[in-house]
Amino acid sequence: MNLNYNEEQTMLREQIQKFCESEYDFYKREDIVKSSADYDENVWKLFAEQGWLSMPFSEQSGGLGFGPIELSILFEEFGKALVIEPYLSTVVLSGTLLDNSTYKDRKEIIERICNGDIQVSLAYAEAEKGYDYLSSNTTFDNNILNGTKTLVLNGANAEKLIVTCVKDDIFNIVILDSKTEGVSINSFSTVDGQSCAEISFENVKLDETSVISSGENAIDLIKQTINLATLCVSAEAVGCMESCYTKTLEYTKGREQFGQPISSFQVLQHRMVDMFIESELAKSLLIKAMLEVNNRSDDMYKHVSALKSYIGKSGKVSAKEAVQLHGGMGVSEEMMIGHYLKKMVSIDALFGNADYHLNSFS
Amino acid sequence: MDINFSKEDSAFRDEVRDWLSNDYPKHVKEKTDNGITITKEDLVDFHKALSKKGWMGYNWPVEYGGTGWSASKLYIFNKELGLAGCPPILPFGVGMVGPVIYTFGNEEQKERFLPDILNFNTWWCQGYSEPGSGSDLASLKTKAVLRNDLDEDYYVVNGSKTWTTLAQNADWIFCLVRTDNSGIKQEGISFLLIDMKSPGIEVKPIITIDGDHEVNSVFLTDVKVPAKNLIGEEGKGWTYAKFLLAHERFGIAGVGASMRQLNRLKDIISKLDNPDLKRKVNDLEVALSAIEITELRLLSALENGGHPGAESSILKIKGTEMQQALSELFVEASGEYALMYPGPKGYENNDKPAGPDYAAEGLSGFLNLRKTSIYGGSNEIQKNILSKFVLGV
Repeated sequence: MNLNYNEEQTMLREQIQKFCESEYDFYKREDIVKSSADYDENVWKLFAEQGWLSMPFSEQSGGLGFGPIELSILFEEFGKALVIEPYLSTVVLSGTLLDNSTYKDRKEIIERICNGDIQVSLAYAEAEKGYDYLSSNTTFDNNILNGTKTLVLNGANAEKLIVTCVKDDIFNIVILDSKTEGVSINSFSTVDGQSCAEISFENVKLDETSVISSGENAIDLIKQTINLATLCVSAEAVGCMESCYTKTLEYTKGREQFGQPISSFQVLQHRMVDMFIESELAKSLLIKAMLEVNNRSDDMYKHVSALKSYIGKSGKVSAKEAVQLHGGMGVSEEMMIGHYLKKMVSIDALFGNADYHLNSFS
Repeated sequence: MDINFSKEDSAFRDEVRDWLSNDYPKHVKEKTDNGITITKEDLVDFHKALSKKGWMGYNWPVEYGGTGWSASKLYIFNKELGLAGCPPILPFGVGMVGPVIYTFGNEEQKERFLPDILNFNTWWCQGYSEPGSGSDLASLKTKAVLRNDLDEDYYVVNGSKTWTTLAQNADWIFCLVRTDNSGIKQEGISFLLIDMKSPGIEVKPIITIDGDHEVNSVFLTDVKVPAKNLIGEEGKGWTYAKFLLAHERFGIAGVGASMRQLNRLKDIISKLDNPDLKRKVNDLEVALSAIEITELRLLSALENGGHPGAESSILKIKGTEMQQALSELFVEASGEYALMYPGPKGYENNDKPAGPDYAAEGLSGFLNLRKTSIYGGSNEIQKNILSKFVLGV
């Protein structure tokens, strides 16, 4: 048994940390959030140069062949730096789905993803369906797509859209250009500084070649893809939890009241210890979940659910504590700390919240 | 990364399981499986069976007759015994005073005391806490004065100890006593071994809120203790006490025992059609998994050359909270039968207990396990430790 990260994995983590420190500090992030764009094209190119956009893809597809462990490391560090670039939607949700499919043009699209030349979004959610992503009111009968997808991450920037739908009562996944006639996109910001879109399809005419997968295969593809994405955002939450604790500790050591650093007060010490403990326990569940996904074990969904329910609950608690212990600074938009709380809210909302995963756990 | 145990460790786990199904005394198993309180004799039989297998010295080096097990074997041993529902191994001899004796004692003391500990011929109890000294242990007042009479050196001990677990069964007590008052409170503490049959020792029961007699007050009045029963140097007792407390924390997360309780609860709750209980038990299962992996992470760090940091305090805090939460859920699952009092005048005197058979056991556990977040350095003390060593404040 060895639960330590190996040298290669540790180097990857350090590489990401260094990048975030030099190229993606909080001020840089704020500039991107306040700009008219939803993400930074130059940063995205740098991601490609670092090889990060190729990480999870198989070597046959031109990727680095890394697995859930490396993805978890990347997302943990993204969580600490509150990165808003559309890695989740393009690389994880869309890219790995294509990579695991038999879709004819997948290599070409993945190559463009690796080079940073294309954004792709997965439209998996519908307003009436809640967290049930395996059924759909969007229809593809007679190869004509009709319906409305919601909360499509980075939807407005996607050149291609991957859409779940039903054809003759059978679950299907199709792909199309976002500029196809009949597609209308309404984009809005998310609470954590990203963007997502509501996308309507009105009599969008496609043909058979746009089908990526159908039936049981399509269901498996969506389940696996969403599970991997759930692992990724949970790892992001684990990174956030560690930062909530370390940044709060740093702040209370520097903040003086009543003639002493407020970190000298036992009531605050014990609350920070609780934040530390929760962050460590979340890391433990992350390790378990990523190893299960890595081994493609039968229990992988169960352990991702355990992790997601845990971080959904304790992650928000940690972020709320971080805000409280920062006092007024905690609720100031210009301070980084409050943004972790917004991140935790958005992570909990994605792919099934804490309650949902607690129920699907057993 | 690899979360699986090595082949050697897996083979060891099978050996422990074999022992549990073949040599773990049947009459003890019968009782623990059915939630029946075990007697002193049952406990002795259990420990003797471990001695016979050569496993009593689970945490001792080979040179003193111990197993010399690695951290992972210790973990497996502890977990499997917990999963099987064994009573906890009494820590006072083998877990506490034994390591102090072989680390700080002289040759004569090692020869005199260690074999009896390994063979469970002596029952030890712990004389640490005093009525005025709980978490602030170093403030203890029980006094030992060195005398010489007819060329015999001995201490005269006066004072009282409290919360002494199973002192009513004990042959010996190891005590922290004050031999000097002149310096800071941590100095002037000495570590004495005292025969419980010595004149001047009186044991009085303290009945806990579960109605059980587990802990005691021990009064010491002019108790004469041979000076050769002093461990190490006079005035260095605090060092030995801290060493001992570090040993006490082993296995304190109680993952195996908690898993057993969790599985029993899941079984009970699956028959109740109560979504609230189901959610709660799921919640505990997730949290227990987090504790289990955290312990494995510490273990992995140990096996790869790291040190167990103050992080073991995490396991103490979360492990004991888990034990309490599980027992509370047993009570909730009992519904209105949580009303049944498990104490001496209560439920256990009825010929045919009312309600489900887990009701009384659940409530006993719930009341009894309140102690877990209090003993071994209360959970608040653990948080102070984490503040100091991890947060650095």
